[in-house]
Order: sequence, then C-alpha cells, then structure tokens
Amino acid sequence: MHAFILAGGFATRLWPLTEKRAKPLLPLAGVPLIEYLVRDIPDEIPVTISTNAVFKEAFESWAEHFGRSNVEILIEDVQSDDQKLGALGATAQWITDAKIDDDVLLLTGDNYCGFSFDAFLAAAKNDTTLIAVHDIGDLDKAKAFGTVIADGSQVNGFEEKPKEPKTTLVNTGCSLLPNSVLPILIDHAKEHPDNVGGVFEELLNRGKAIECFSFSEAWFDIGSFDAYIEATKELVGDTVIKESGSSLDSSTHNGSVVIGAHSKVSGSDLTDVVIFENCTIEDCTLSNCVLDKGCTLRGIDLTGKMLREGTKLEKK
Amino acid sequence: MRYRSLLSLWLLTDLAVFVGSYAAAYFLRVGLILSTDFPFEPYITVAAITSPLWLIVLITTRTFALTRSQSSFRNLAYIIYSSAVGTALFALGYYFLYGLFFSRMLLLYALVISTVAIWIWHLLYSKFQRMMLRKDPPVFPTLIVGVTRESRELIAKLNKGLNPLKPVAVLDGKGCKDSEIDGVPVRGKLNKLEDVLGEGITHLIQCSDLEQSLNLLSACRQKKITYMLLPSVLGIVERDEKVESLEGQPVTMVGPKENALMWFFK
Repeated sequence: MHAFILAGGFATRLWPLTEKRAKPLLPLAGVPLIEYLVRDIPDEIPVTISTNAVFKEAFESWAEHFGRSNVEILIEDVQSDDQKLGALGATAQWITDAKIDDDVLLLTGDNYCGFSFDAFLAAAKNDTTLIAVHDIGDLDKAKAFGTVIADGSQVNGFEEKPKEPKTTLVNTGCSLLPNSVLPILIDHAKEHPDNVGGVFEELLNRGKAIECFSFSEAWFDIGSFDAYIEATKELVGDTVIKESGSSLDSSTHNGSVVIGAHSKVSGSDLTDVVIFENCTIEDCTLSNCVLDKGCTLRGIDLTGKMLREGTKLEKK
Repeated sequence: MRYRSLLSLWLLTDLAVFVGSYAAAYFLRVGLILSTDFPFEPYITVAAITSPLWLIVLITTRTFALTRSQSSFRNLAYIIYSSAVGTALFALGYYFLYGLFFSRMLLLYALVISTVAIWIWHLLYSKFQRMMLRKDPPVFPTLIVGVTRESRELIAKLNKGLNPLKPVAVLDGKGCKDSEIDGVPVRGKLNKLEDVLGEGITHLIQCSDLEQSLNLLSACRQKKITYMLLPSVLGIVERDEKVESLEGQPVTMVGPKENALMWFFK
C-alpha cells in the first residue's frame, strides 16, 4: 500500500493565512494540519505528498522536521491556480510516473480526520474501494461535499456537490483504492482532472463495489475561516495552548486560545483566538480572530478577522 | 521623476500665466502703449513679486493634487478664491512699495483675467499631464480589488477621464468570470496580491471584500502603497457621504437629506 496526499491547492478562501503557506501546513492547535494525517498512517506505508512548486520548500522543511523517513514530497510544477493539473490529474500522473501497482490510500491534505487509520484500513475488504464517510447532519452543509448514498456499508450512489442532497453522509477525502481500479482512475482523470469525487461515481457506473467506513469522531474540512475556528475550538477546547517562549500576562481568556511560539500577549481579552508565532498583542480585545505570524496590535478591538503576516495596528 | 518634472513645470508655467494675465489686464485697461502716467515696469514687478505668494495660496487649496479634477466647480471655486487673494496681495504690495493706489477697474480686469487664464491653463495642462503620466509604463499603476458594479464604473471613469491613477490589474476575493474589465486584466483572487503589488503598484482601491480591508491596508502600509476605499464597500452608494471630524477623530458621515443650505452648518 502507498499513501498519496493531495496538498497542491492554493486555498484562496483562507487568504491571507495561505498567502505564503499551503493550507495543509496551517497550524491547527499548534500542529500543522497535515501532521495529524501523516502521523496516523502506519509506519510501513510510504507516503507521497503532492504539492506545487510555490510550497516546495515549506513542505520539504516540514518533512525534514517531522523526521519520518518514508515521506516523499512530489512537486507539481505550477505557480498558480490556473496551471494546476487538478487533484485527480495529479494523482493519475503520480500513479503513471511512479508505476504504482499497490493499493493507494488517497487523502486530501486539508482535512482533519478524528478516526484512526488503523481502524479504517482494518475495515477494508479485498479488492474493494473503501471511503471514509461522516454524517454532518445538515442537508444544506452537504451541498458543499460529495454525498454518499449507502445501504449499510455498501455504497449505492455518489453525488459530487449536489444541489439537492439526498443524504447528509459525506465523503471525507479519505479513500482506499485497490490497485485494480487505478486504470479506471487514470482513464477518468483524462476527462475530469479536477473531480476526485467523480471517480467514485465512475467506479459505480462500471459496476465496481464501493464500501464505506462510517465514523462519528470529529472531522473538519478546513476550507474556510469559520471551519478553521470551529476545528480549533474542537481540538483545543476551553483552554489556552501556549507554545514555547510565549507569554500571556494580565489578560483574560475565554474559549479556545492558541498563542504561538514567542508571541507576547498582555493586558488583553481573548475569546477564541489563534495567534501565530512572534506576535505582540497589548491592550486589545480580540474575539474569533486568527493572527498570522509577526503581527503587532496595540489598543485595538477586533472580531472575526484573519490578519495577514506582519500586520501592524497601533492605536495612536 | 516624471511626475515631479511635470509638477515643477506646471508650477513654473502657472507663475508665468499669473504674471502674463496681469500684463494683459494692464494693456487692456491702459491700451497697447507703455504709459508714462502709470508705468508698466513697477506694475509688472509687483505682479512678479506677488505671484509666488499667490501660488502658495493656490497650492494650499490642493488644486495640484493628483486626485483633483480641474474641471470641477469646486476646483474653479478654489481658483477664484486664490485669484482674489492674489489681487488683494497685488494691491497691497503696490501700495507698500510705491505708496499709491490705482484704477479699481484694472484690479477687476486682473482678477477676471487671471482667474480665467489660470483655469483654462489648468484644464489644458492637467490633460497633458494625465496623458504623460499614463504613458507606459504608467507613473501610478493602480490595483483595483473587487469586481462589482461600482468598481466597473470606477475603472471606466478612470480610463475615460485619463486619470493619473491608471488601473493595471484587478483582483477579486472570490474570483470572477471576466478576464478583463474595460481593458484591465483580471489577475485572479487575493492570493495573487503579493505578486501584483510587487509589480510596482502605487495605489490600491478597495471596491469590495470588506472583511479583507485590514489585510489590504496592512499590505499597502508594508509596501508604501496608497490605500483607497470606495464608500460602496460600506454600503454607501448615494454619493452623500462626507469625511468629518468629531473632536479630532475622523468619521465618515451620511446625514439625512435636507435643505442644501444646511450643508454649511451641519
């Protein structure tokens, strides 16, 4: 088996946090998002992370720091969104170029999955595609995902981002593809390079069985500011995470607060706030905010804001 | 450099037009002769001495500001005001230097001619300056953020009026289908901001994406770019906003519609 993680997106909805950073490298409760995925993949499974040239150095630096020997960073040589191969296209190209004939554990790098991959892999049946599904309990929210119509663990239908979802069971970007279906994936990618979910519809159309692994643990698709804050609240809880060299003096805090390395907070009120490294916050009231690294705020009240790296707001 | 040279030339030619309009007033009043009763030389000397003072008054009205339209009534009002001050300074200067007053009609001629001449010259010169400033590469390449009805109108107006702020790129927070707007390329979403700003942008006009105003402002401050915000981003689309001050703190004000005269008092 070989794990392949899609991490090539430019994540424009999370701008400016993703201005200089790939979404899978966004820290979630102090840990890069992709790390939650990779550290749960059994050690014997080689991992290939597909990203683009813009984020090459950042991923290589992360991989070196992470220290797992069988992690490979595969660079898709594009500089912008409009040159991308597409997620399925990138997968197909990797399978072709690397002559992959193993089963493939296909993951999207911007998802947080609370379940154990051991349990997921244990649920796999021989030569059958397996997808991890989660009941998000809201038909409106389901419109943004690939929905899975299942009878028990057997998948009978798959609809990618339907306008009128028939179910609240959604694909979570984690699937196990047996090597027998890889030629179908490659074939499908030629016409639909962007549509990863579409490959499941294609498999069903060709009479290939798909099983689903349903889980109740937390799952987040970190695609927006709200999702990022929600995921942080879930993982951090009603507490403060203070990374090395950070300080929180003469301040009050409510909800989930993360203070990045070497950030200094004083005389401030924080409610559900994520502060990246090397920030200085003095005499501020912040609520539902994410501050990228190197921000300096003095005497400011902010609610529901993402601030780009190096922002300086000082009340005169 | 191009802008400074053009501005210097504008200021110098303004001085010449001012003095020239006083000479024209002299000959119009006295006739095409050099009168011995009312000599031309001291008259024009005082006009020349007065001209820099008049120019300072005109500068303080921000008539030469990049964003000022020379054809606006507001601008004409400022020119009239400056010319009136110039005429008063001229009369005072003449009296202080020579202890004499002279024809009131001449002062009236000088006021009218200097006002008209300066306004016409400003209309002509600003058109020439705008053309020169927009020549490739433009001196003030401007980034438009947000594709909305208002931003489309703005781009069209800036291009039609040959405004010195030349739109060279458009970004939109959520992306848009257009590849260009009035000839200005749509470069993509805000993740291209760093790249576009790195291309020498001097002005950024935010036309939507209110939630990103802090970040756009921050990027502008870091790169020493002038940031502008369309009132429509705040929902103000009726062109009735004013920037006022409450105890020294600036506020954007939109008041109820009422008698125009109340504008002076509220």
